Amino acid sequence: MKKLFSTNMFVRKEIASSLVLFLFGVVFLLYDLKYPLDQWRNPGPGVFPLMVGAVLVILVAWQLVQDFRKPKPQGARKNHEGGTGSITEFFRRNRGETKPLLMVAVFIVYLLLVKWVGFFVSNFLFVIISSKLIGARDWGRPIALSAGVSLFCYFLFEVWLKLSFPRGALF
Amino acid sequence: MADHGILSSLLIAFQPLNFIACFIGAVIGTLVGVLPGLGPAAAMALVIPLTLKLGPTAGLIMLAGIYYGSMYGGSTTSILVNVPGEPASVVTTLDGYAMARKGRAGAALAIAAIASFIAGTFSVIALQFFAPLLARSALAFGPAEYFVLTVLGVILLSNLTGKSRVKSLIMMMTGLMLSAVGMDPIGGVERFSFGLESAQGGVSFIALTTGLFGVAEVLSVMAEKEEPVDLLPVKFRELYPNREEMKRSAAPIARGSVLGFLIGLLPGPAATVAAFASYGLERRVSKHREEFGKGAIEGVAGPESANNAAAGGAMVPLLSLGLPFTPSTAVLLGGMLLHGITPGPLLLRDRPDVFWGVVGSFYLGNMMLLILNLPLVGIFAKIVRVAPKYLMPIVLVLCVIGAYGDNSNLFDVWVMLGAGIVGYIMRKYNYEPAPLVVGLVLGPVMERSLRQTLIISRGNIGGLWDSPLCMIMWSIVLLAAILPPVIRYLRGREYRPALKNREPKQSPLSLSSKITQMFKNLLS
Repeated sequence: MKKLFSTNMFVRKEIASSLVLFLFGVVFLLYDLKYPLDQWRNPGPGVFPLMVGAVLVILVAWQLVQDFRKPKPQGARKNHEGGTGSITEFFRRNRGETKPLLMVAVFIVYLLLVKWVGFFVSNFLFVIISSKLIGARDWGRPIALSAGVSLFCYFLFEVWLKLSFPRGALF
Repeated sequence: MADHGILSSLLIAFQPLNFIACFIGAVIGTLVGVLPGLGPAAAMALVIPLTLKLGPTAGLIMLAGIYYGSMYGGSTTSILVNVPGEPASVVTTLDGYAMARKGRAGAALAIAAIASFIAGTFSVIALQFFAPLLARSALAFGPAEYFVLTVLGVILLSNLTGKSRVKSLIMMMTGLMLSAVGMDPIGGVERFSFGLESAQGGVSFIALTTGLFGVAEVLSVMAEKEEPVDLLPVKFRELYPNREEMKRSAAPIARGSVLGFLIGLLPGPAATVAAFASYGLERRVSKHREEFGKGAIEGVAGPESANNAAAGGAMVPLLSLGLPFTPSTAVLLGGMLLHGITPGPLLLRDRPDVFWGVVGSFYLGNMMLLILNLPLVGIFAKIVRVAPKYLMPIVLVLCVIGAYGDNSNLFDVWVMLGAGIVGYIMRKYNYEPAPLVVGLVLGPVMERSLRQTLIISRGNIGGLWDSPLCMIMWSIVLLAAILPPVIRYLRGREYRPALKNREPKQSPLSLSSKITQMFKNLLS
């Protein structure tokens, strides 16, 4: 039963992913019309993206048809109707996605912090937190790893290779 | 050009900076090959910013070192842990791990390293012969021929990952579309930059590749359950294959080298296909067929030589035509462009130092890898035990530095994060990032050649197929587009009645059917 449900979910998600791509292609095509096409003897900057965009839309439409034609397992519909639509249910079903989602959130905070506390300090914090997030149980090793990585990056990239990283209030 | 031979190319490679770059590249490549998940394309994308400080020759030597070094490293974990470090070493697990279980891990590792060395050296010799020949022929190419060549590349490369052809094409088109961001290559008109100053130069290649390969990989690893690795021990004394094993390996290495190089010339996941093709061939011609899957040395020697020779073969279209036929060579091409080097027919004429330096580094690198891989194999294998919780944060930091270091711009890091999220979602729905990267690299060549052809022919679309060479190439394009679905349809018709008559009986898959299945999955 669980397998049927997940297969059905996958088919629906495939349709959703194709729809997103289709939309992307259409928006791209419409936006491209802003640029001059000119004439065949001197094609403008809009010609190539228009051709590529058109091919993309056709291909995605084909993929979408294939996704719709995919056989859905019997009983999947019934199962879907019985399922609850709560957020808790969503996270329970997509338990594997929690960690990547959290990592993306940490990454965003890290990038926002770079401007305030500087690259190396935020980098130091980021390595510790991401290491803990991936599964480190203690604090000692992630802190040691983070200190090592930050120092290595500082000496290799900033001192030796003369790359300048953003500085903040602390460093 | 004639004064450049093996010796002069070696002289360039032996210059101190190039030598060090080759060594570092070979070591990083071996580590990348050992570590499952992190592939050579991702590692090369991470290292590109670092190579920019080294100059084109040393920088490209380091990148090439990572590329072929990963082929060596991949076999180590396949044999000792039954975990292939990269896809080209999947087939080595079948007999390599079986040999290790029998206590012949040392011999399997030694044969894998020797086979890799011989095939690698063979492919460089062939590369040295074929690349200039192809480059000279390609000098006759005009914009129309280049346009057809890129179209042919798109059609043939739609099988780059061996998965859904339509999905590959969709990704390729997305890459071509992204290549249109920034200044247009003929008129200099700004496109799709949405007023952002950082987007005027186009999508940052490094930000996109580090995101699609590096960040997406980390997110995928996080979504999976971590499993402990069971590592078989190997001692230095055990690294000697016996006379019988050496004798049985000689012919598979020779066959694997030739087969691998030829497959490397074709678009697609060459190293992986070459390894599988070689395994299939060895099984067919071997006198010890019954040993396959149970620890046949031919099952290690053939595929390991084939995947290394394919890596060399894939360099031929890259260096002589400027066309990447594999994900790794696409990243290498990106690296070349960032170094201000345009690979293609003019590379040999304009930058012989780079061309011959890279070729010479192949000899040197293969030698280094043989010396490194034999005694240090135990250490390399232990790296597979490094837990993701310590490795992945380092990969993320390198991704950030790589994306930032390209233009010293935080905007590119945001682009990288976006690409990482998209790449993670793409993987979930079987959309591979490699065709997208190839599209991004091929895009400007395709657009420029199309528009130049139309300008030259004064708007006559026939200019795209006027020359006999173009006609031949278009015929190949047509064949490449039509043949696979026709063959699939015919095969389907052939199998349908047989499937109808078959009794619904479940039987365990034999080794041969498993391999056939894996091979079919790769090629379908």
